[in-house]
Amino acid sequence: MPKRLYRSLQALLLLGMSIFLGAKAASGQLIYYINQRFVPLTIFGIIFLAVLAQTLFAENKRARQQSDDDHDHDHDHAPAAANLWFMLVPLLIGVLIPARPLDSSAFATKGFNTNSPIVSADSSAQLFETDSQERNVLDWIKLFNYQRDISQFLGQKASVIGFVYFDEALNQNQFFVSRFVVTCCAADGFAVAMVGEWDQAATLEKDSWVLVKGTVQSITLNDQVVPLIQAESVQAVPAPEQPYLFP
Amino acid sequence: MQNTTSPRPLPRSVILFIAFGVLLAVVLSMVPIAFFTWLWDRLNVFATVFLGIFIEAAPYLLLGTLASGLVEVFVDQNQMSKWVSHRPVAAAVGGAFMGMVFPVCECGVVPLTRRLFNKGLPLSAGISFLLAAPVLNPIVVFSTASAFGWGNMLFWRMGISLVISIIVGLVFSIEKDPANILRPVLTLSHDHDHTLKANATLTEKFHHAFLVTADEFFEMGRYLIIGSMLAAGLQTFIPQSALLAIGSGPVLSVLVMLVLAIVLSICSTVDAFVALGFMGTFSFGSVLSFLVFGPMVDIKSVIMYLQVFRRRPVTYLVAIPFMMSLLAGALFNYFQP
Repeated sequence: MPKRLYRSLQALLLLGMSIFLGAKAASGQLIYYINQRFVPLTIFGIIFLAVLAQTLFAENKRARQQSDDDHDHDHDHAPAAANLWFMLVPLLIGVLIPARPLDSSAFATKGFNTNSPIVSADSSAQLFETDSQERNVLDWIKLFNYQRDISQFLGQKASVIGFVYFDEALNQNQFFVSRFVVTCCAADGFAVAMVGEWDQAATLEKDSWVLVKGTVQSITLNDQVVPLIQAESVQAVPAPEQPYLFP
Repeated sequence: MQNTTSPRPLPRSVILFIAFGVLLAVVLSMVPIAFFTWLWDRLNVFATVFLGIFIEAAPYLLLGTLASGLVEVFVDQNQMSKWVSHRPVAAAVGGAFMGMVFPVCECGVVPLTRRLFNKGLPLSAGISFLLAAPVLNPIVVFSTASAFGWGNMLFWRMGISLVISIIVGLVFSIEKDPANILRPVLTLSHDHDHTLKANATLTEKFHHAFLVTADEFFEMGRYLIIGSMLAAGLQTFIPQSALLAIGSGPVLSVLVMLVLAIVLSICSTVDAFVALGFMGTFSFGSVLSFLVFGPMVDIKSVIMYLQVFRRRPVTYLVAIPFMMSLLAGALFNYFQP
């Protein structure tokens, strides 16, 4: 492959990558893949990729002018064209497979927890002060894991959003309200869940998003004490813009 | 004229092709529809995990290749040999501490190290740098501290990584001929046509540095992509719980964390946050070994190593850190349960 063609293709691919990531950032879909806190880094990537593409275009223009001047043919060999093919892979996967955040179909391999091993910098001491209705699924799991005495939480009001999942460990009138927790990128995502108890649980659809309001109780599953919400209402809601929780 | 209008018998290959197509359609129609939804679900998980790793790592790879491009333009060979000692011990220690200056992770460090070798960096210094830089740099110090606090974990992570990288550097200093270790550099020579003149302006210099950056981004990006696909594939089809279920006992739990470090392939700049998630289920020593070993060896970095080093040195680069991380983790588990 002539060097100049190679450079043009490189530039196009870099530009394509920049546009692809830019579109993901603009549509808010970047957080399907990475933790929010790394978005600025991706923005830097978007800009720098465009700068590199521009540099390559400029270099080609310069080379063309130069070869017009001294009629020197391209004597050097461009690197393997395979490099270009590989860079096409993320673009194709990103464009052809519709963006879909991790859901219950990832449980099979990614695991599914009712006890969170997460001990994040915001210690659970802070969680005491938050209003019980402000706590999300992960907060409740943390509280139940790191407090010796959970009796103080029983009877508190809760209001959590999550997607529905059914499991054999549960009764007919119970379901899991789950969220994925992503620390860095989707590769380390894992699901946390608390139990919902509702007489019409059977009418719920797997993977659908619900807002569960009710009173917190506890239930023992696989020798673990897990938070349970006795639902007063279960309301279908649209999938949140941030499908994951960021610890 | 007649030839084109009269029907010709179909060539055998076309008949075979059609027959094969019909057969395939019959077989596929017998596969239950549930299989396809299962496959589609797997594919979706694969795509999300793959893009997750790639989008996370791409900016870091860009930074690494940019560093390499800048070194190519702004560092000349004479300076390099002045800075770095050629005595093995001094070179290995110097290389490891050099890691503190460059804020690169394990994706970015590979092209940068190769560039430094090209500029005449001694082998042992380069190896120590390669292993130390992804951990001993300001970004990683900060991210580890924000996950675990300024305490034991940070101290031991940095300390043990430093020791391992210096030891591996010394091991490599036994080999006197770099040609036995490094693969012949093919692509670095291709830009001889626009070698910079001594009096190049700053703009020209940056222009040249960016060209090098772009070339290396493509070259190394290829291996980042292969590695991310492997890691995503493993995560899509092998249950993580199976791995975690094995993990108890002072040695076995360290082994599990080491394998996890390889499989997850998380960037060293952010792996502390992920490791934090394992603190509940795993002991201090096991998580420490994850934090020490992960930045040195994982799927994508090994594939990138293979582009720079010959095969046998890569096995050393994987095996020695593996053994030493295992040893360190197990010692911690025994003495500080």
